[in-house]
Amino acid sequence: MKRLILFELRKVFARRLSVITLAGVLLFSALLSFSTYQNKYAFDGVSAEGTGKRAVEIDKDIAARYAGLLTDEKVQQMMEDFAPSHDLNGLNAVYLYENATQSAVFSRFSDQDGNWNGLTVSDVFGEEEIKIGYVDGWLSTSRNLVRVFLALALAVIILLASIFSGEYEGLDNLLLASRYGRTKCATAKVAAGILTALLTTAVVAAFSLLLALAFYGREGLDCSILFAPNDYVEAFIPFNITCGTLIQYQILLAFTCTLSMTGITLFLSAVSKNQIVALVASAAIFLFPILLPVTEKSPLFRLVGLLPIYHVLAVSLLSVEQMGNGMLYAIWAVPATLLFLGAGAGITCRAFARHQVS
Amino acid sequence: MELTTMGLTKRFGSKTAVKDLNLTLTNGVYGLLGANGAGKTTLMRLLCNLQTPTAGKILLNGKNTVRLGERYRDLLGYLPQHFGYYPDFSALDFLLYLSALKGLDDKAARKKSTELLEAVGLSRESRHKIKTFSGGMKQRLGIAQAMLNDPHILILDEPTAGLDPKERVRFRNLISAFSKDRIVILSTHIVSDVEFIAEEIILMKAGRVIHFGAPQQITSEIDGQVWECTVPAAHAEHYAAAFNTSNLRNTSEGQTILRIIGDRPPLQHAVRVRPTLEDLYLYYFKGGDEK
Repeated sequence: MKRLILFELRKVFARRLSVITLAGVLLFSALLSFSTYQNKYAFDGVSAEGTGKRAVEIDKDIAARYAGLLTDEKVQQMMEDFAPSHDLNGLNAVYLYENATQSAVFSRFSDQDGNWNGLTVSDVFGEEEIKIGYVDGWLSTSRNLVRVFLALALAVIILLASIFSGEYEGLDNLLLASRYGRTKCATAKVAAGILTALLTTAVVAAFSLLLALAFYGREGLDCSILFAPNDYVEAFIPFNITCGTLIQYQILLAFTCTLSMTGITLFLSAVSKNQIVALVASAAIFLFPILLPVTEKSPLFRLVGLLPIYHVLAVSLLSVEQMGNGMLYAIWAVPATLLFLGAGAGITCRAFARHQVS
Repeated sequence: MELTTMGLTKRFGSKTAVKDLNLTLTNGVYGLLGANGAGKTTLMRLLCNLQTPTAGKILLNGKNTVRLGERYRDLLGYLPQHFGYYPDFSALDFLLYLSALKGLDDKAARKKSTELLEAVGLSRESRHKIKTFSGGMKQRLGIAQAMLNDPHILILDEPTAGLDPKERVRFRNLISAFSKDRIVILSTHIVSDVEFIAEEIILMKAGRVIHFGAPQQITSEIDGQVWECTVPAAHAEHYAAAFNTSNLRNTSEGQTILRIIGDRPPLQHAVRVRPTLEDLYLYYFKGGDEK
């Protein structure tokens, strides 16, 4: 069985299209990370100003001044330190951006003129303890991961669509006439499909995280996502989790997404006459749920949100509910994945075993 | 070993490819002859359990081959008429992969693959990618893969297609050496290949077996109906068109010797000759494709 799995893996990765697809995803991840890093901007309100690496340094210096638990005193201090020094020309101060910490405090505690809005930390966050620090880098990374993992899921579909259907272009009569053609061959293909998904997801996730570590360091991983620049306040995850937890959830959901799509793609590959049909059908099934008019506030979203595409879109699924044990509702993606993968693998093996050569 | 088909039938929609076939095959080489569309390939696929029969069953030593499953396929070697390949695999890797599917362990697979690559004349190209192979080389690789597991039942669909004369001779010798105590079924349009190798001929027409027996036995069907006559070369084309001509050979004296199949002598001076398998084939399939 091990030899068969290795041969199947070799078939997947020997194809030029597979290599190009994987290289494309890694390049996309690198470009996205680099351009985000280069576009960073920060001004400390006094003299230090810069973009890219300099902006990250400025933001980290500012965040270090207030690091620790968020208190009303720190809020007052920040409001004073970042009080607008010039006319905002009608701009609501909530949307003012000078640096990540200023944007974070203004988004929660400022009125439209840049004055304190009268809310206390407990008014805004309840009894939650909010640990603050430099979170902008990792939150940017989280946002980029959505796009990277979306591309990754499509890449996995491309890699796996031919795993069975590719054989129907003349090799099925050799495989199915062999001793293990209708038994171990299908099992080896399913195992290779799962390994392919796991391997590519691990490589892409590791590559993206290494880039993020190189650009932003480990700072902020233990800080709350709730005290974040304005971009991450509206329509973002409303639960007091750390950046590290957020990234962990996203990586878990990337795995659940690619594994769910593995189950679906393998099934479609086994029942499609050719690779293109399998590829298009798998991609369509993956992308179609986006078109459904179901918002995350709808009770139906608890089911729809467990479809693979919402795993990588992450924010919606991570916003559904924080359960009593502290885990987010998104953890249900794991059993959903086992269902997709188990059912997909089972039906796939059966379909291949019953395949009629034509 | 006895391979039996009982009432074997395969329909594709309204078309019946194989009709109520009852055959019993024991050890030996069987040549399957028939025009395009006669049902040869479908029969071979049914024998390999690659297609499910619409009716009837296939038994090996009295046991249903579908129920035997892996145990039956373990005895099987199959070369399809058209088959795909992995372009980025080398010939050796391709054979090693199929060996794994056939249940050979790694050591045995390497030994057998190397031997077979030698036997089909591909040992020097064993590490070359298959995408660089010519049609004939791919066909030879196909023959090698069919024999990897020393099959007791070897089914070859058009095995000599694309092979040059030297390779065809090599193939015939390979099959002759291999066929002892095994069932070998091969279909081909090249009647001379069957004539050389096959001990029994299965002649198929419109999904049915119309003749089954030793070559001499089935050619006796048209005994007295094959004629040779010599005509002036200038008139040869006219005569060839007028009669069912199986061969036409020019002599150095400006004459042409025609080999004609018919109930009566085509010309007064025509002489009766001994029929061959090719004559028999043309007798039944004059138009080429199945009518």
